[in-house]
Amino acid sequence: MRIPTLRILFGKKASAASPPKDRSSVRVGIPKVLNIWSTHQFWVGFLTALGIAPENIVFSSDTSEEQYREYGKGRGTVDCCYPVKCMSGHYGELIFGQKKKIDILLSPMIYSLPSFLRGHVLDTLTCTRVMAGPENIKAGFLKERDVFAENGIRYVSPFVSLGEPEKVPKQLHLALKDVLDLDEEETARAVEAGYRALEAFTQKMRQKSREILTWCARHDRPCILVLARPYHMDPGIGHEIEAELQAHGFPILWMQYLPIDDDLMQWLFGEEIRAGRIKSPFDISDVWPSSYSSNTNEILWGAKVAARCPWITCVIRFSSYECGMDQPTYTPTQKIVEASGTLYFKFGDLDATKPAGSIKIRVETIVHYVEKYSRDLIRRKLAALPPRCPLLEDAAPTSESASLAA
Amino acid sequence: METIQRINHYTAYRPRPFTREERATVTILFGGLTWKHERLIQGVLHNLGYKAQPLPNITRADLDAGKELIDVGACCPTIFTTGNLANFLKSEMAVLGRDEVMKRYVFLTAGACGPCRFGQYHESYTMALDGLGLRDFRLFLLAQNQLDQGATHGGGLEINLPLSLGLIWAILCADVLTDLEYMTRPYEIVPGETDEVLRESIAYLYDVFRNRPPEKLCGGKLKVFAWHVLTDYFTDALREVRKRWDAIRVDRLQVKPKVKITGEFWLQTHEGDGNYNIKRWLEQEGAEVIPPPIAVWLDYLLHSPITSEEWKGAERNRKKIALLRAVEQIYHFVYNRFRKALGNLPYELPDQEELKHLAKPYYHYELRGGEGHMLVGKALYAYRHKKAHMICELSPYSCMPNTMSIGAMANVLGRYPDLLYAPIEVKGDAEVHALSRCQMILTEAKRRAHAEFEEVLAKTGLTVEAIRRYEERHPEVQRSTYRIPHYGYAGTAANYVLHLARKMR
Repeated sequence: MRIPTLRILFGKKASAASPPKDRSSVRVGIPKVLNIWSTHQFWVGFLTALGIAPENIVFSSDTSEEQYREYGKGRGTVDCCYPVKCMSGHYGELIFGQKKKIDILLSPMIYSLPSFLRGHVLDTLTCTRVMAGPENIKAGFLKERDVFAENGIRYVSPFVSLGEPEKVPKQLHLALKDVLDLDEEETARAVEAGYRALEAFTQKMRQKSREILTWCARHDRPCILVLARPYHMDPGIGHEIEAELQAHGFPILWMQYLPIDDDLMQWLFGEEIRAGRIKSPFDISDVWPSSYSSNTNEILWGAKVAARCPWITCVIRFSSYECGMDQPTYTPTQKIVEASGTLYFKFGDLDATKPAGSIKIRVETIVHYVEKYSRDLIRRKLAALPPRCPLLEDAAPTSESASLAA
Repeated sequence: METIQRINHYTAYRPRPFTREERATVTILFGGLTWKHERLIQGVLHNLGYKAQPLPNITRADLDAGKELIDVGACCPTIFTTGNLANFLKSEMAVLGRDEVMKRYVFLTAGACGPCRFGQYHESYTMALDGLGLRDFRLFLLAQNQLDQGATHGGGLEINLPLSLGLIWAILCADVLTDLEYMTRPYEIVPGETDEVLRESIAYLYDVFRNRPPEKLCGGKLKVFAWHVLTDYFTDALREVRKRWDAIRVDRLQVKPKVKITGEFWLQTHEGDGNYNIKRWLEQEGAEVIPPPIAVWLDYLLHSPITSEEWKGAERNRKKIALLRAVEQIYHFVYNRFRKALGNLPYELPDQEELKHLAKPYYHYELRGGEGHMLVGKALYAYRHKKAHMICELSPYSCMPNTMSIGAMANVLGRYPDLLYAPIEVKGDAEVHALSRCQMILTEAKRRAHAEFEEVLAKTGLTVEAIRRYEERHPEVQRSTYRIPHYGYAGTAANYVLHLARKMR
């Protein structure tokens, strides 16, 4: 028989809700590859909302040949494009190269992406290699023995359709429930937090881009737009070619973060919408009917913006060796950009090694042409647009953006 | 409006309409499958009053033409098929002139709704047309996952149930006949007999599709569908075909390794220069090939929505799931009827759920593009059920989805080191390299085929001479249409000996 004590008689009853789970000491490693470059804020927001301490969310370093040599060598299972192949180095670095060991290696199979073009295009899927990359790379760490288990790491690779937010809570709950002891409700809340974080970051970056464009408009100065996939922002993949151009004084914009404000979009595309050529500023069916791939769609849309926006006088296109998604777009993208005389330069077949010499020569060529033709190009493109440019009606740019642009 | 006129912005290719009135004068070009499938498809199109013509079979010259016309870095199926169309149009232009070619022909090809660049092939075609000065040539896409898409731009081509079901039925009939072809030819006693009977059979089946009764193709959709599913029209025709194959005599005591072909859709289906004629080459090297039926791909397309709906919630979508399952079952019912009409000789379709289950630890079933998890699933299916000694996976160089599943296969091979797997990367112009790679694995497959044959002889106590004597007394066992059950050995010869041993008992 249980003996009544003061504690039992008067003690506070336990709440029906389970106590918050303490995950603050769990360390999660995320390979900084592929579409993590455009969705990292989602993962940070999601994991933080689950109680994982920000300092315990570990991203692998930027891609480098050394990283692959040290951590990924011998783990590759097939020859493919470098952005996927280099993942072995990232996995290896997270497994073997951490002073403080990670508990979980989280490498999501991102099937679709959130995109501002969603609803205007057929789909926003990722590349087949991008979505399946983790299945390919993990094989290199399992084919002989389970390297993850040997190192006390749980490998988790959720299949996740980030382009369809309604599916994501269930997908992540199913994949992570055992690893992080998750319930459905808290997963849903964390997913919301993830999307909020991603949206806030994207908005901020778009605003920065608008400020740069405003600065260009006010000072009648050209800027250069990068058309590339998100992971070309990785210095080991894109080789920082745009930084070399920026060093010559040209502000650089990335297509992923171009401003999409209504006033600017109406200024650039309004006439074409009214003429019935397109349905909205984000309609790319006039140039790309097979609009299934998210990054491809955005590249095509970026090319359209570049062809119209006066101060974008030059486009540089990055493409990795063996990129099957880029391959069919080479000619259409070039034709879209060059239709308005906008300068177009492609850096194709990018691979592991930085071709420093040829980049230097080509950068000099680009600089020469941008300096020579930008003034006329701006005039010509301005003349093709309605007179009132919303950028010139913006408030003066902040000192921060001015310095960024400069 | 004035502002837009100053800059002439780029627009993508838009075909001018193909009108209903043009049906009698305009020929629909198509291609991409085997000559057998294409001939039966032509029968379907002729049956519905279209002028139709398959493109010539792919040759090495098409690769060269394709490379000249489209952007660098394309996968070889894109290059081959683009070059194929371009070469045909060029040859026609030389005879008819540019304007007449644009007037007389349209090209119909499959579009895809997925992430692989297969869905963007038409971009390459239009680029090639530009290069040939044929910007106004008409090119139309046929979605793979809709049976009733209505009329194309202009109404010249109506993608309705009589057309779609006709195409599917033609593909299934060509598939079962292709199975029969590949299981017969390696063992034929009179060289060339299989090919001759095959040609006759396809010619006969062409007439069967060409003469589908018009009264069965009009009326409600349900009526058209029900007729296709329940009629004996096609099964009777296949029975007639089987009679022709009865005449072929085979020697199944020839010990040959069985090689299952998997891979990227176009390359695995193709028979010709596009894949180095690898199926014929394997036969010449002493193998029996298991060809990949297109029916498995269609089954995958049918099964995927069931999985998606189940994921959303089986309770909530019960009716929809039941309907999709019913359609899937009807599809299997039709395929199995065709198999039965050919004496159950063609291979059964693998269970999609099993493929998914087998591939699960290695490749997620929702990863779309190419054949997805099926490449892993099919290899394991053949291995575990002892359907083949070796898997030959054909992938185009730089194929995006296939490289991923080949990579995942490293994990499979780690667990099943005795699975003989030859992933062959096809560029189109590196034949020696690809075939020698395949030959290395084939050597081991041959050794295994012989080992299992010897094992069966030892187990049954039979000798080749004793079997020969039995064959003399029972010539029916040497008919190509005589069915040898599968007794758990991959090789035909081993199963044959076991079968005869049981009969002799």
